[in-house]
Amino acid sequence: MRQAGLTAWKTVEWLLLAAVGLIFVFPFLWMFLTAFKTMPEVYQFPPTWWPESWQFQNFEIAWSSGPFLTYVWNSFLVAAGILVLQLLTGVPAAYAFARYRFRGREALFGLTLIALMIPAQVIFLPVYVEMSHWGLVNTLWALILPYGASAFGIFLLRQSFMQVPDEVIEAARLDNASEWKIMWTIMVPMAKPVLVTFGLFSFIYHWNDYFWPLIMTNSNEVRTLPIGISMLKAAEGGKLWNVIMAGNMILVLPILAIFFFAQRHIISAFVYQSK
Amino acid sequence: MRKAAAAHEMTASGHALGRTEATKARLNLFETIRPYLYVTPALAFFGVFFFFPIAYVIYLSFHDWSLLNLDEIEWVGLANFTALFEDADFRQVLGTTLIYTLSTVALGIGIAFFLALWLNRKAKIFGLVQAAVFSPHIISLVSVAMLWMWLMDPQYGLLNALLEFIGLPGYTWLSDTKSALLSLIIVSVWKGVGYNTLVFIAGLQSIPRDIYEAASLDRSPWWRTLTRITIPMLSPTLFFLLVINTISSFQVFDTIYIMTQGGPVNSTNMLVFYIYEQGMDFYNGGIASAASVILLGIVGLLTLLHFRVMEKRVHYR
Amino acid sequence: MKKVRVSLLACAMSITAILAGCGGGNQQAATEQTSGTSGAASGAQQQTADAGKPIEIDFWYALGGRNGEMIESMVKQFNESHKHIVVKPSYQGSYYENHAKVLASVSAGNQPDVTMVEVGSIGAFADAKVLQELTPYTNGAEEKYIPGLMGNSYWKDKLYAIPFNRSTPLLYLNRDMLKAAGLDPNGPKSWEELREFSKALTKKEGDKTKTYGFSTPIDIWFYEALVFQSGGNILSEDGKSLLINEEAGVAPLEFWTSMLKEGVMKAPPGEKYNAWDVAKQDFLNQQVGMIFTSTGDLRGLKEAAKFDLGAAFLPANKSYGAPTGGANLVMLAKSSEEEKKAAWEFIEWMTDTKQTIPWSLETGYMPVTKEAVESEEMKKAYEKEPNFQVAVKQLEYAKPRPMVPGYKELQEVIMTEIQRAVLGQASVDEAIGKAMEKGQKLLKK
Repeated sequence: MRQAGLTAWKTVEWLLLAAVGLIFVFPFLWMFLTAFKTMPEVYQFPPTWWPESWQFQNFEIAWSSGPFLTYVWNSFLVAAGILVLQLLTGVPAAYAFARYRFRGREALFGLTLIALMIPAQVIFLPVYVEMSHWGLVNTLWALILPYGASAFGIFLLRQSFMQVPDEVIEAARLDNASEWKIMWTIMVPMAKPVLVTFGLFSFIYHWNDYFWPLIMTNSNEVRTLPIGISMLKAAEGGKLWNVIMAGNMILVLPILAIFFFAQRHIISAFVYQSK
Repeated sequence: MRKAAAAHEMTASGHALGRTEATKARLNLFETIRPYLYVTPALAFFGVFFFFPIAYVIYLSFHDWSLLNLDEIEWVGLANFTALFEDADFRQVLGTTLIYTLSTVALGIGIAFFLALWLNRKAKIFGLVQAAVFSPHIISLVSVAMLWMWLMDPQYGLLNALLEFIGLPGYTWLSDTKSALLSLIIVSVWKGVGYNTLVFIAGLQSIPRDIYEAASLDRSPWWRTLTRITIPMLSPTLFFLLVINTISSFQVFDTIYIMTQGGPVNSTNMLVFYIYEQGMDFYNGGIASAASVILLGIVGLLTLLHFRVMEKRVHYR
Repeated sequence: MKKVRVSLLACAMSITAILAGCGGGNQQAATEQTSGTSGAASGAQQQTADAGKPIEIDFWYALGGRNGEMIESMVKQFNESHKHIVVKPSYQGSYYENHAKVLASVSAGNQPDVTMVEVGSIGAFADAKVLQELTPYTNGAEEKYIPGLMGNSYWKDKLYAIPFNRSTPLLYLNRDMLKAAGLDPNGPKSWEELREFSKALTKKEGDKTKTYGFSTPIDIWFYEALVFQSGGNILSEDGKSLLINEEAGVAPLEFWTSMLKEGVMKAPPGEKYNAWDVAKQDFLNQQVGMIFTSTGDLRGLKEAAKFDLGAAFLPANKSYGAPTGGANLVMLAKSSEEEKKAAWEFIEWMTDTKQTIPWSLETGYMPVTKEAVESEEMKKAYEKEPNFQVAVKQLEYAKPRPMVPGYKELQEVIMTEIQRAVLGQASVDEAIGKAMEKGQKLLKK
């Protein structure tokens, strides 16, 4: 009797798990299915579940509706450029905050923490004006430079550098290794898990970003993928949802693929903030 | 931490032994400025792209200016702020932002809390569902917005098809003033709840096992364990999530821009979209910067609150 | 598939080029000089010969889909035939997005040299001294354009803009549906007929309306049309006061709200152009019998429609009436002299008879030169597809859009308030009162 109750509960729980999982996964599946339908099928109500015939050309139409290769390349350049800059500025700063005592350290670190909290949306107008003065609007620099230092990255790296045992550093110093060398050849490799975590976080965040490129770009040479995708909207005869969804797959698939292979890293990358 | 730094100072002077006094002095000077050199690049970036713009936007908020002509900028004192607060539309924008934020935060955290309690288990299937719930969080808001616009299409959307399938009338979603805001809230909760859930799970896993074991020895009922142990032990996590979610809700823009453009009839016009419209569409740079300053004030206050509590939390440890 | 379309297009354009060339003997000398063919090109080439390399100019446009592809292919053709100029086209999204982008780019100093500007925004940009006055460049070329399309080209008596993709709103009809209901397939001629037609076309299944007779986006443009039809105006002559509280401003709202109440009209959901998309979709899916939309949609809709599609004048109240719309081409004041010369050459080419004829036939936008309208080719095309002539005929009753610097913001205020009334959140009087109050405040700024 009790056994039966238990299995019944188990079944209910499995059903619930499936339901919850579907709520979050099914929309992506729907994106996928829509991307392969014909227009008449898209505008059929009630909708068909499975495409009647698989329209691979929707992807072709989406891809050829703008210079998508350029968009992808720009997105990559921006996300990678930001990450490199953030590491170049972040590693020394984190090392200093973790390993040196100097006057004003707490105050400067406090400033860094403030930068961690205030979102870009608050200051896009003045930054736009700044960029205007420097003639950088509509260049990739306008997308990269404002994110050249990451407070979050400094915060993470500092924590990780603090955990490196003193003996390791002392040994290196006895070998007459310069501080600069210690930082890059000893500390950085030891912080590898944190670097991977931070790298994934930063890359995904900027790969996905819509707001900043929307404000800063106005020509195809410098537009990023999210902007290109959002421009798929327009057409004379109503919205081509199949083509729009196909375009979105281009944006979503790489991230989902990375997520599939590096799930644990990505989750810890995003959840780490809380610790 | 202090010990590490002290040790470092010792070795730093130690390894300078055996050099001439002059190089030693130069070295010492270099050693003093070294940490500043290391933090300078990062802080320079923050200064140029963060702290200066903050000061600049405050400066701009006291002026009448527009992006059309940056040379003609005129001091107007508090006029932009008084204009904003006298404007019923802006009050509505603030109100909508507040409702949106409160609902998103409450729902996003509330649902996540129960999901976390339920999904915090070792079996593989639970890990799988955790990953599924989390997946929308790493997807671009552009795709999320477009996808949901399609799902919520009042005539051909999947959601109304499902509603009709179970015998309910279709819903208006984004097309009605009464339901558009709710629709945006649903999208934002859907995207964010997975993150909150996993943060909660991380928090749950850091609660020492033995506390629970003691509780079960005392035959404490589950609800008492929940209210006496789990919730208090999770309160730092909860607080962190409250702040992070509130700040990110206040900056909502992408979904509005793509899905509703602030409509219908202004019902989803919120702070950042308002700033964008005023600044980039209507030539009202002054009004836009004043609204930015108000947003800055709200976010700043939350940040301050966060730090206050964080400090306390650090001391307890 | 796309390639086929483009080559067809190029084909159509070369044919029209020959035809227009035949009939173009009586062109003004001034136009001839710069009209973009090889002769004019060599003239300009001399000026830049010392530089040796072609001048690059940026051109922003705001049409997506088919019409956008057409623009791209026109630019390509221009670049091929004008070796001394390289035009770089760049799509900026809808008129709204383009407006914001142009505005922001001017301050950043990376503004385009030529851009499309929605006609209602010309005043704002000209007033802010963003635009280049064109008279020094045109040599009187402005005379060749249809006068009815030049209303939004002048600001304070100076010429700033040349009509390019110009439209008026039309009533689109599903003739099959009209015939099936025993109605005149030429469509309703007056507001009352529109109401009757809508009633006849509306079909219900239980509580649910399966097909609506009529649908229109609750957009400022159509509101302007109905105000004009009622013999009124949005703004006073001097542009200093809002007139929508007069009878002609109230009548359109009362008409729409009563149609909605009777359940024979649908107000498509969605903000800005999203609502237009819905209206067009419903129309194509035969869930709505008649819609208001732009002439610029004619080709796209005609091709997608699986029924006999007709276009007609907007129904009259006191008279027929419609605003013109679409976008003009403008040059920006900040460009260099050399760029401006190249920009003008480009603008003139894009709007010249040889280009405007295929442009019009491929999209549905109106041809912009007098010569084009009278050309044999256009007449032949109109005979074959009378729908394409409706817009030009309606021009007789059309007026320019209101132009004051703040109209962009003002139109949004009006739109918001009339939508409030249409959605039943406010009475007609309340909505008009609110719009008046807010609008007057804006006009005083």
